[in-house]
Amino acid sequence: MNKLFPLFLLIISFADFDVKQNQFIARQGQVSFFSYTSVENIEAKNNQVLSLLDIDKKEIAISMLMRAFVFKKDLMYEHFNESYIESDLYPKANFIGKIIAFDTSTKETQTRIVRGKLTIHGITKETDIKTAIKKTDENYNVSGNFDISIKDFQIKVPPILSSNIAKTISIKFTFQYQPYEE
Amino acid sequence: MKNKKIYQLLTIAFMVFNSSVNAQGLLDKLNKEFPKKPVYEIATFKTTRIGLGHSIETRKKGALEILLYNRYWNIPNFEGQRFLADVVSTRYGLDYSFSDNFTSGLGYTNHDKITDGFVKYKLLKQRTNSRKGFVSIALLQTFSHRNFETTGGSIYEPLATSSNSYAFTSQVLVARKINSELSLQLTPTFIHRKANPLNDDANNQFALGFGGRHKISNHAAIVSEYFYVVNTITSVETYNAFMVGVNWELSHLLLQFQVTNARNFVEDTFITQTKNNFNAKDGNFHFGFNATFVLHTKKKKLK
Repeated sequence: MNKLFPLFLLIISFADFDVKQNQFIARQGQVSFFSYTSVENIEAKNNQVLSLLDIDKKEIAISMLMRAFVFKKDLMYEHFNESYIESDLYPKANFIGKIIAFDTSTKETQTRIVRGKLTIHGITKETDIKTAIKKTDENYNVSGNFDISIKDFQIKVPPILSSNIAKTISIKFTFQYQPYEE
Repeated sequence: MKNKKIYQLLTIAFMVFNSSVNAQGLLDKLNKEFPKKPVYEIATFKTTRIGLGHSIETRKKGALEILLYNRYWNIPNFEGQRFLADVVSTRYGLDYSFSDNFTSGLGYTNHDKITDGFVKYKLLKQRTNSRKGFVSIALLQTFSHRNFETTGGSIYEPLATSSNSYAFTSQVLVARKINSELSLQLTPTFIHRKANPLNDDANNQFALGFGGRHKISNHAAIVSEYFYVVNTITSVETYNAFMVGVNWELSHLLLQFQVTNARNFVEDTFITQTKNNFNAKDGNFHFGFNATFVLHTKKKKLK
């Protein structure tokens, strides 16, 4: 009996891991950003953002291709990728963070701080993002917005164009998570 | 007793292993989830002209380009007192993109009085990190009409406007973006001109264009172009056209500064009829300044 006990434990830990759904994925997450200046408003949207939510570890990971951003004007798309974000060198932007005081049991919308590392343009910064999290049956909805400073991510704007591009860019995001099957 | 310990050890080892598998980065997991879609190279040249000739670039649907191309040069031993340069030649142009791959344009040059037009179709797009789509290929067909006065053979014939002044240029533009800094282009060219009764020049000419772009900053690039003519015209001495310059972009405005020996703007003239070599002498040194303004007549809707 004594010999079998650890084996039991092992099986239970295995079974537990298998049955309980603890990871959720969003394949069509939406991230948009805005740059408002008196000269020009720039707006772009990415509808193919990937995100994983681990409710056990209260972790959230986001990854997106910079080339998937859609702009109103095509020249903006070219300049964004070629001259500012340099997407051939840094094709992706990532975020990985922990949801602080995340309550997995409540069905109400909870506003929580997600603390983690945001990587854009090859530069990683510690960032706190305020998010609204809502659980619906099997799914999770996560949304929010925050601002970043383009200086923090070493995105250089030539002085002659500095009035066209805002110093702070506001970012909006919405993710709808479904159970993740590997 | 021994067995028990082994069991316990194994259990602990397994749990550690289990949790380490679980802790495998969420980001790594995510990276495997990206759908495999072809990614096409953008901004091989950025401007639709490298400098003198066309590049493989076409604008996206609905883009209207307003072009103002200027070339300045001096007349040797000129007695006049003109401001800055003795002669200024300007080409006024309009290009419109009917689709992402098809562009058409019209232009008029005031100095040599040439009206020109072109259609351009992008056949193949270079792909990033893929064996398919090694190069970008575009096809270009231009036509030009030259409104010049032929001095008739004898004094009894008055000055007449020639009607045999059409020329057609066909080009296959092949370009590859080698890396984010360097792009190269090869341009096999065929030029057909209506027979001119005044000289014995060939009606069909072949040429090969070489072009390159090297990025020097996020907004500026050094560009160069050279056209080698296989069968040159015999009535006058001609030289191969050469250009070196800087392309600079400012939001919707694209500026090109260049030094060249080419005087004309239209393919069939500058490729085959450049009558001066590239040097700094008066009459041979040409400074070019091209301004292109891009207007988006159709804006994408962000869903």
